[in-house]
Amino acid sequence: MIQPAASTALIHDFLETSAALYPGHCAVVCDSGRYTYAHINEAANAMAAELLDLGLQRSDPVVVLCKNGFEYIACYYGILKAGGCVVPVNPGFTAPDIASFVRFVQPHSIIVERALLAGLRECADTPSFLMTQKNGDLPGRISAAFKNAGALDEILYRPCPGNPHLAIDAAGGASIIFTSGSTGRPKGVLLSHKNIVANTRSICRYLAITHGDVQMVVLPFTYVMGKSLLNTHIAAGARVVINNQFAFTAAVLRQMEREQVTSFSGVPSTYAQLVTKSPLREYRDRLPWLRYCSQAGGHMARPVKMLLRKLLPPHTNIVVMYGATEASARLTYLEPHRFHEKIESIGKAIPGVVITIRDERGRELPPGKEGELVAQGDNIMMGYYKDPEATGQVLDSFGYHTGDYGYKDEEGFLFISGRRDELVKVSGYRVNIAEIEECILESGLAIECAVVPVTSDLGGAKLLAMASGVGASVSAADLHRYCMEHLPLFKRPKEIVMSKSIPKNINGKIDRDQCRVQLMNQKTTGRSICAA
Amino acid sequence: MAPKEEIKKFIVDELLFGNTALLTGDDQSFLQTGVLDSSGLLELITFIENTFGIAVEDDELVPENLDSLDNVEGFIIRKRGRLNSYDPACSFHSAHP
Repeated sequence: MIQPAASTALIHDFLETSAALYPGHCAVVCDSGRYTYAHINEAANAMAAELLDLGLQRSDPVVVLCKNGFEYIACYYGILKAGGCVVPVNPGFTAPDIASFVRFVQPHSIIVERALLAGLRECADTPSFLMTQKNGDLPGRISAAFKNAGALDEILYRPCPGNPHLAIDAAGGASIIFTSGSTGRPKGVLLSHKNIVANTRSICRYLAITHGDVQMVVLPFTYVMGKSLLNTHIAAGARVVINNQFAFTAAVLRQMEREQVTSFSGVPSTYAQLVTKSPLREYRDRLPWLRYCSQAGGHMARPVKMLLRKLLPPHTNIVVMYGATEASARLTYLEPHRFHEKIESIGKAIPGVVITIRDERGRELPPGKEGELVAQGDNIMMGYYKDPEATGQVLDSFGYHTGDYGYKDEEGFLFISGRRDELVKVSGYRVNIAEIEECILESGLAIECAVVPVTSDLGGAKLLAMASGVGASVSAADLHRYCMEHLPLFKRPKEIVMSKSIPKNINGKIDRDQCRVQLMNQKTTGRSICAA
Repeated sequence: MAPKEEIKKFIVDELLFGNTALLTGDDQSFLQTGVLDSSGLLELITFIENTFGIAVEDDELVPENLDSLDNVEGFIIRKRGRLNSYDPACSFHSAHP
């Protein structure tokens, strides 16, 4: 089969090619449903036909508010086939957040699961099309506000008219992904077909994803890493197994064994949970097919990496990766055979990406010198949607300025010494809070922790920490004692609060703003605080 | 108070901040309907362990045990039944040191 040239290839070509090659192959497993490539492609075609009937024009945004599942996938590719721009919105966002995104993009249509309608309660003034799984049963206020309410189930099962084959500009907008919630104005990353196709192909290559692969997906497709898992496995004609209940880790592992899963992916908190709150240890001999576990979404502390290495089957590789929504997801990966040797590294740029280290004037720096990581490649976003000012701050002739600081070693391996929001000055010293979190975890007393800087009474920054202990008996005093022995005074958190869990955002990343709020609240009420 | 009522009270008071409207039925999935997220689930587990004197093992972290009021109650009853069935054996050993 001749692959379309990279510059004209479209995201949904991946699905159409795989549906032509492997029509009867099971592409998606979700709950009790199993869906073949032919089935998914037909449903996507039916969705595209519906949207075109409703007057969708090229690059019109369509909001999708669905959890991971067959409907999400059919809608995702259907919108792209119709020439629209997918705006995936995580159902975990609050109704005011969702309303602010909807007002911001002014979508042509909103596709929503019935169970998630409540999230749209503040969007009723948007003159958009709404579909739900049960027609004619919408709350009156919303029903009256939307011009057409069609039933998603009925649409996705209509007889299929074939691939629409529209002329679509590969350089045009294919997806807008929101990176932040209600704090400040919405920030939507605009990605083209070209961006996503380039990144998908690169990931398939370096992870050697093939038709035989089976990926367990516990991350939301609305998150850029989840989206990559979907596109790469559809591109390879492989299979995704969707499990939306990762909290039940024993059930996830059981399903991985049953479905003969070959790869698993998560963010640091996914793995923190897997190594401390799951029967992973008992599965060492029961996951013979598991080729690798990939990790992205922020720095994973060394103790978690080491424990994961110990608990996983010996044949399962750990692939540490680094990326950004602005890069369609992936920028670097660490080859698994260098895992131990370069354990603190994020590896090297993936195929098709160039990463340079630059100073504040844009000059490229030699190995060993610390500067900002700047990335170039076909995967770098078009810009922030409707926000040329913010775009101008991160995109220039050198590429995308990641806001992360680090260096390259002599072999070209990249090391991050601090992310923009994790570097802070305490008592005149520059402190990387990730290093302090790592120290707390090294104690073996905490499952997870978050260190946040706050303004001290004296005007500078001081550090507060929130930690969840490995057992109820671990106290803040235990952690203070450990920090006293292992950290210089200026790096020690002034106060540590024990908490059963650390606040996370909807993608499972630690939510530092929320941690700060909780720490400040506890400080005023004086609950379970132990000051150094 | 019956176990189910105690669990319900804990979820409503501690995790839903008094909002009873979210908890609609005894067989309602906590995770699928947004009553609990993963950290809420961990809090629920700690509560169950402390209140009912049982240990939730890692391999018991499945929806069948923990994803609704009915399931949690059934789980507690099964666990307690297992504990109680060990009691005669324990007393046998203590009687014959």
